[in-house]
Amino acid sequence: MVGGFFWDMNSFRTIIWGLGTILVLIVVVPLLRMILAADPMVLRSTVADAEVMRSILLTLRCALWATLFCAFFGIPLAYILARWQFPGRSLVQGIIDLPVMIPHTAAGIALLMIYGRKFFVGKVFASVGLSFVGTEAGISLAMAFVSLPFLVNAARDGFLSINPRLERVARTLGASPWEAFFKVSLPLAWRPILSGGIMMWARGISEFGAVIVLAYHPMTAPVLIWERFESYGLKYARPVAVVLILLCLIIFAALRAIAAKRREA
Amino acid sequence: MLHLQNIRVTLGSFHLKDISLDVKRGEYTVLLGPTGTGKTVLLETIAGMHRVERGSIFLQGKDVTRLPPEKRNLGVVYQDYALFPHLTVRKNIAFGLKLRGRRGNKTEETIKKMTDFLGLGAILDRRPAYLSGGERQRVALARALVLEPYVLLLDEPLSALDRSTRDRLRRELKRIHREIGVTILHITHDLTEAFFLADHVAVMKDGSILQHDIPEQVLKRPRNRAVAELLGIENLVPGTMGKKGVLLTSLGPLNLPIPGSQGMKTGNEFLLTIPGWCVEVLTGRDNARYVWKGTMIVAAVNFMDGLVELELSHPGGERLRTRLSRREIGNMGIDVEVGVELQVGILKEGVYCISGR
Repeated sequence: MVGGFFWDMNSFRTIIWGLGTILVLIVVVPLLRMILAADPMVLRSTVADAEVMRSILLTLRCALWATLFCAFFGIPLAYILARWQFPGRSLVQGIIDLPVMIPHTAAGIALLMIYGRKFFVGKVFASVGLSFVGTEAGISLAMAFVSLPFLVNAARDGFLSINPRLERVARTLGASPWEAFFKVSLPLAWRPILSGGIMMWARGISEFGAVIVLAYHPMTAPVLIWERFESYGLKYARPVAVVLILLCLIIFAALRAIAAKRREA
Repeated sequence: MLHLQNIRVTLGSFHLKDISLDVKRGEYTVLLGPTGTGKTVLLETIAGMHRVERGSIFLQGKDVTRLPPEKRNLGVVYQDYALFPHLTVRKNIAFGLKLRGRRGNKTEETIKKMTDFLGLGAILDRRPAYLSGGERQRVALARALVLEPYVLLLDEPLSALDRSTRDRLRRELKRIHREIGVTILHITHDLTEAFFLADHVAVMKDGSILQHDIPEQVLKRPRNRAVAELLGIENLVPGTMGKKGVLLTSLGPLNLPIPGSQGMKTGNEFLLTIPGWCVEVLTGRDNARYVWKGTMIVAAVNFMDGLVELELSHPGGERLRTRLSRREIGNMGIDVEVGVELQVGILKEGVYCISGR
């Protein structure tokens, strides 16, 4: 049939686009609705609310610590997973993915049973003055635990995308394994690592379940939203949520733009 | 310069078996073998990238078997060139010098001399992604050569290029070797490349080196059937030693002594290697240089670039292939087509007798 190909092509495109768009709307509509429904006067007073700003800054800060902490240990692990075959490799990979699967409140309880004051590891850290219950360290720990797969997996994919011959050639040119890593592998995997870091940070900011078990206080933004919702209802919880969402959107747009610029450079 | 002594390497289910090889200073050695035969593994082993299970590697008389790659001072150029994509051409070339802490005017001069020599002056500030295949190859060569390596290891350096670039760079490699005098070990599966460049050829198959000699010798006296096949020798005719030194083959008896047949006893089996250029179509003039003459029928005519390949069949069932220039065919004064009978002679020089099958 003449024109059949193009007709098929058109219907194919329409359906594919339609399906994709529905998913985007599922994400965007509730967020937009919430932002648009916010009363500017209430928003302004929320921004001026010291407790709200304190909790937002705390959230951003703890998520950043969690990300940096995981980068220090996670980048080497990602490199191992990308470069070396060893028995139990897929087991390690599965373990890294585990935090995505288990309920985060359960993750919080599990962490509490290791780092809590009554438990051995908790006692060891307490002896050097580091407590994980009701502290920033505890919040960071909870965030790190639940969001580390984002960084590790992105970094691993980054290393996997590098031709291993580049490292080998670097060695024949006189580079030690460390020099080959820092002068070749890391610079080449930098972009996926950065974008994995951004994702991890984002996931850390949004964490509620694991954080609330380890540290109800000091209050992170998600906990504060929950608390206001529980105590005062939707009307008081919403502005905090809107402020947090707007702030995060601005920061991520900026970071994504920076990452994209690096790509062009 | 480079001496391998009974090297054994295992990588998964693949083995390099008992490899010994000697490469003298300033020599251009080509390691020739089909794909998947372990050539790259051998090259990487020499460079220090794989653990040697048994045997030793000597460089300049020094045992380097356990030295890491960065302590061996060998240059490597891969088929895909493995240029650092995040660095400019200049920084790629300076990479090794910088690691050695060499900076300043003298280093700049070294880089300039090398880039001038290889004609890279105009592209120094470009990233590898913006270079042609030929340019990439020359950058990879420059990057290795500025460090004045003991041996330059080339892994199929011409395979990824289009034909005209390949022909040009083949000459370029010969010029580099001649003018710098660097010792080169070059691996390839390409016969033309191997015989164009090599001072010495090592033929490799299934993780072993089958024969290592000057190209002429390897071509004239292949050690066994595998070597003859890898060298692309067109005709391999089996036979048995008859009485009084007569070689019995499916073409009939051959009466002249043939190199390699001395010392064989009656009843011994052999394989004659007959390069295509030894199979001549006779035009009336008789000549004593032929080890065999007879009538054959044209079974196929294949046009190749510049040459015509004839497949000739013998009533005994044997088939011979030969290549003639168009001028030679024109001079015959007959139409060469399938079914035509031709008088054929096999030239004595070039034919070799391998003991066994």
